[in-house]
Order: sequence, then structure tokens, then C-alpha cells
Amino acid sequence: MAASPMVNPGNQPVWVNTDNCKACDICVSVCPSGVLGMKYESTSTLGAMISIDHPEACIGCNECELTCPDFAIYVADSKEYKGAGFSFAKLTDDAKERQAAIVANNYMSLSEQGVK
Amino acid sequence: MATREVISTGNELAAIAAVDAGCRFFGGYPLTPSSEVMHEISDLLPKVGGVAIQMEDEIGGICCVIGAAMAGDRALTATSGPGMSLKAENLGLAQMAEVPLVCINVMRGGPSTGLPTRVSQGDVLQAKNPSHGDYKSITLCAGSLAECYTETVRAFNLADRFMQPVIVLLDETIGHMHGKADIPTIEEVKAGVVPRKTFDGPANEYFPYDCGPTEPATLNPMFTGYRYHFTGLHHDKNGFPTEEIETCRKLIQRLEDKVAMHEDEVESYEEFMMDDAEIMIVAYGSVSLAAKESIRHLRKEGIKAGLFRPITIWPSPAKKIKEHTDKIEKVLVVELNIGQYHGEVQRAAARLDIDGLFKVNGRALSPHEIVTKVKEL
Amino acid sequence: MAFNYDKYLRLEKMPTLWCWGCGDGVILKAFVRAIEKMGISQDDVCVVSGIGCSGRFSSYVDFNTVHTTHGRTVAYATGIKLSRPDKLVVCVGGDGDALAIGGNHTIHACRRNIDMTFIVINNFIYGLTNSQTSPTTPKGMWTVSQKAGNIDPTFDACDLAIAAGASFVARETMLDPKKLEKIFIKAMEHKGFSFIDTLSNCHINLGRKNKMVSAMENLEWIDSITIPKKKYDALTPEERLNLLPTGILKEDTEADEYCDMYAEIQKVQQGLRKVISQDDFAKKI
Repeated sequence: MAASPMVNPGNQPVWVNTDNCKACDICVSVCPSGVLGMKYESTSTLGAMISIDHPEACIGCNECELTCPDFAIYVADSKEYKGAGFSFAKLTDDAKERQAAIVANNYMSLSEQGVK
Repeated sequence: MATREVISTGNELAAIAAVDAGCRFFGGYPLTPSSEVMHEISDLLPKVGGVAIQMEDEIGGICCVIGAAMAGDRALTATSGPGMSLKAENLGLAQMAEVPLVCINVMRGGPSTGLPTRVSQGDVLQAKNPSHGDYKSITLCAGSLAECYTETVRAFNLADRFMQPVIVLLDETIGHMHGKADIPTIEEVKAGVVPRKTFDGPANEYFPYDCGPTEPATLNPMFTGYRYHFTGLHHDKNGFPTEEIETCRKLIQRLEDKVAMHEDEVESYEEFMMDDAEIMIVAYGSVSLAAKESIRHLRKEGIKAGLFRPITIWPSPAKKIKEHTDKIEKVLVVELNIGQYHGEVQRAAARLDIDGLFKVNGRALSPHEIVTKVKEL
Repeated sequence: MAFNYDKYLRLEKMPTLWCWGCGDGVILKAFVRAIEKMGISQDDVCVVSGIGCSGRFSSYVDFNTVHTTHGRTVAYATGIKLSRPDKLVVCVGGDGDALAIGGNHTIHACRRNIDMTFIVINNFIYGLTNSQTSPTTPKGMWTVSQKAGNIDPTFDACDLAIAAGASFVARETMLDPKKLEKIFIKAMEHKGFSFIDTLSNCHINLGRKNKMVSAMENLEWIDSITIPKKKYDALTPEERLNLLPTGILKEDTEADEYCDMYAEIQKVQQGLRKVISQDDFAKKI
């Protein structure tokens, strides 16, 4: 397992450990803000891998970290993140729309074709 | 050896022995003719801060005992034939995970419900392989009231030495026999207690199942700062499940060899008038008492019979048996089953002409019956 | 939150053998967060698991762990707890482990009200052995042992636990990991037998042949069959037919706990109190 994946790799609101991701789509499905999407990855289990496409839209709700079964995605600790001078985004209508589109696209990033 | 005289039954002596030997947990279920072990130990254990629980079934009985042993207690269960059958799978787990415990089987007529209140020795082969899979059994058999005590004490020390279940066979006759016994004093027993080995180095250097090819695992009690995993699956040095080819092979081989390569520490037998014996009787348990009496009768009539009595039934004292059977033509195995140890004696002797006196109707063998049979040989 | 799961994991065993999207991982994480919040030392915790996918739970967490035979989880745990009553003992089993082969042990651990927590990961199927019917598989679903359709009725695990005498009975799902964490804390802090019917998804075995191929479809199905207890209580029997109440369904903090009662037996035998009699109990039958 890679070095301490819960350590923020550089003031990110959310980050992933691709070694652990099994591409189950759950985190993508629970994100309210269209931050995440799956990308095709021929070397991984289901041919897909999690991708953080819009970190700037992350509202810090923690749903992805809580619902990931595989220790693959982490959200910055609220106190630490704010203490370092950063802040999570607010949930916008645009973000909600993007999320709906991602779900409709079979949880794939909008830059990918929706068929798995 | 300092001794004291007590008047008791075999079952009660086994219970008292367990507590004296440091047993602090009992789990079981009522089953004739073993229930008195539970009754007695349920009374004794709480006095010394131990725990005795009657579980919902025989399987619960063995499982909670294995749990308590994992936590670090010397632990006991007691049952009879049908209960041994139910405990089979979990005895296998204790064997596989190397958890020490003592399992008393007070044998009764079988198979199935059989003859609940009558004697037999029908579980001898079952004790050799109580579980599925390869199983290296350590099975002792008490042949007197005093041995109900001393063999139970020895069983706990063997269990901790070899890190596996040890089966102690009594039978209905000896379990319910009431009489006088000369047993070691409590101080004597306590001085002889050899608890399981433990590891006291740093936790990150502790590998419970990392041991030499003829050594048992070193399992520290739970909750003492050494965290590891118990499983019935094949496992690696940490106790974690694995299917790796060499690890699996080595594990099964070691479970066999840890006893097989140290049989001198387990072996125990009695040779009664064997020095000049021309007829060798092989008997164990309560039958050996009748056998000894029959030998006294036969000797009075000039017939030189002797008794070879295995006390450790498994592994069998095969070498010693062969030493005698190589020199003695007439060998008679006397047992209360249809020839379970007879097969083992033939195997050890590498002979197919060993005689047998088998009684399977739930009644004891009298010295007279043995005398009659010997004269027919 | 970037929770430090690593502290509680056996990292050399990662990644888990559970399928992608399996609820077992979500439940494990909630459990680990609960232990952290309770501030208990890892050395004082024992996790006992049974056979099945949920049975692998114990090998992934860095506590004193035991992987038992099928159905015997609470029996092993009973021995461990009675031997060390001051330690935290948690059992993890599946619906087959707890309710089929282990049913008898589950019933009697509830009856004794022995202080431990039983997390029953109920995914409505036998997962590890590939899709056989379990006591909670819905009637009419396809299983590999009933390809013509399941005719076995189900029973409500929480009803069973309550009837058998458990003093803390709850049901939650892995849909809300924060709620799950809270209920785990309550269950483990409760003195007595805590039974949690933890509904989980098995899209690979139950879902795939029952028109719920993806993890999300199974989660939606679990959502559709559960409803918080308050709302459930207000429903008519017809409305309740296809719903399971979630939340704390029973919480009795007064019930006698078995280890405490056994301590009384020890006192009797050591001459520190008089023999226990019927007069000691309000409930005499």
C-alpha cells in the first residue's frame, strides 16, 4: 500500500489512492457536486479508474470518503484545510447539473463515452 | 511423590484435577455419563475465580472453550460419544490454529444414541481422527480412579506443550466408579504445571506461527499487547489466511511432526507382569482392571500372562508393542468395542494373527471372561 | 475528514478480497471510526468473525482477531468474553452465519444478554459461496440453490433477537455510514447483548440474477425496503408488509448482563453473598 494515503498530497480538497480503487462507481454516484468521474483504464479491474475532474467544486461533504468501501478516496480534514487558508466550494446549480449528466453518462467523466 | 487419599468418582476426580492443574474455564453440555464432570467443576471453578458455563449445545461447549483458551485460560470440556461427534469440526479448528485445551470423553455405548448409561470403549478410533483432514491426535486413557486425576493433569501440561487439544478417555465404568484413590497433593501438581510458552520481545518481532518444523506455535494470550489472527484456514506466520503452496505443505507437516518427532514426551504405558509373560494381553481403561485381576488368577494356575496397558492411546506405543509381539506368540487384545485398538496392535506388530476379545453389549468384561478366553488361545 | 484508517488496518492484507462496491468495506470503515471515537486501545478489542465474505472482516483489522467455523462466532466470543469480561468483544457474521447454521448460538447469546456486540452483515444471500438462499433472501428471487425461484420464507432478524432477549437491537444499512458509525458506538457502549442487523448490498450474487446488476441498484433497493422506525410505527400492516424499520428497535439498560450475573455466582461460591434465589429476580419465569 502506498505511503499514508490519508495524508493530503498537497492542499487538495479530495484525493484518491488508485492502488485501492476497484471502480465500483459509488463515490461518483454520491457526490452532489460533479467533482468525480470514471475514466477508461485498460490495466485496472473493471477497465475504469476514478478521476478527480473538478476538485474546485468539492464542497467537503465527505460522502465519497464515507461510502468508498476500499480506502481509495479521502477528503481533506475540514479544520486542517481551512487552517491552511483554503476553503471548500459551495454547492451550485451548475455543479448539480453536471453531476446529473455524469450519472446519466453511466458515471463516466463527461469527456468519456458513457458505455462501459 | 507426595500423595493424599481421597474417596470420589472418576468424573469428579477429573474435574478436581483440572482445577488443581490451573484450569479456569469450563464449557460444556450435559451428556450421560459425563455430566458429573460439569456438575463438579461448575461448583469448583467459581470458587477460584474461574468460569463454568453450560452452553446451548455441545458445539457451543467446545467453541467457548477454544475462545477461552485463545484468551489465555487453561480450558476444559467434557462429553461422551455423541458430543465428540458434534465437536468434530471445532476440534479440527483448535488443532489447526494450535489452541491448547483438554477434552474429556466418558465413553458410552454407541454408535448414535447407543446405550447412554452403559460402558463401551467405542470412541478410540474417533479419538485418533476426531476431525476431518489430517489430525495428529494426543489421546490419553485413564485406567484407574487415580489416573482419572493424574491423566487429566498430564493432559493440560501436554496441551500447553504441544499447543493442541488433548483428549482424555474415560468410560462409563470408571467415570461412575466410586472408591479410594491415592492422588498427588495439590502442591505436587502445582509444582508440575508447565504453562504454554510465550514470546516477550517487541510486538513487531512476534510471529506466532513462525517456528521450527517440529515445534508448536507460540501463542501469546489475547489482550496482552500482541495482536494476531486465529483462523481455521491454512495460514502464514502471522496467522493470516494463505494458499501459498510451500506454506500450506509445511503447516500440515509441522502439525504432524511437532508430536511425531517428540513421541517420547507423550508416550506412557504400563507393563504388568510382562517380564516373563508368555501371553500378552493388551487392554486399557476400565477393562485393564479386569485384565489385571484375570492375570492374577491365571498366574495362580501357572499360566504366565502379562498385561501391556497403553496409557497414551494416541500416538500408540507401537515400538514397545512390537518389542513384545516379536517375542510373544499369543497376543490378546481385550476391549469393549468391535476391535478398534486390535487393528492398531496388528499394525504395530506387523502381524495379522493377533487375537481379540470384544464385548459390545454395554456390559463390563469380567476377569472370568478374560481368563476363559486366554485359556482358549 | 481524511480519517486515519491505516492505524486500524493490517496493511499487508490490502486491498480487500471483497468485490467492487461491496458494503462490507463501508461497514468496516464505520466500525473502525466508531472504535477511534470510543478511544479504546486496540489491545483491548477482540473481533470474532464467522465464515463468508463478512468472515474475512477480522483478518483486515488490527485487533485481537479470530476467524471461526461457520455459525459459531458468538459461541467462541462467549468464551473469550467470560474469560476476559473487561474487554470489548465484537462479533461479525453474515446472514447465513448468524441466522442459519449459527441460529442457535445467536438465540442463546441474546437470551443470556452477554455483553458483546453482534454485527450481522445481512446481504440477503450466501455471497462467498455464490448465491445460495439464506434465511433472509426474499421470496421469489433467483438463487443458485433455487433456480426455479426461492420459496423459503424470510424472518426478521431483529424480531428474533428481541424475542430471544437481546437488550439492544438495531437495524441500519450501509447507505448512511455516519448513522452506522453512531449506532455501532451505542451498541458497543451498551452493557448487554447488542444485535445490529446491518443491511448490505451484494450485487455480484443477489443482485446480478435479480435485475440489480450494479452496486447502486442494490443500494436503491435497500433504500426502498427500509424506513425509520418512527415512520414505520405509523404505518398500517399492509403498508408495513415490504418494509423493515431502521434505527434502535429495542434498548433496555436495566436487563441483567451475564458476566455481571456470573460474578455473583463467584461471590456465592466464595462465601461473599448468600445463594442466588428466585427472590433476587422480578421476573421469576
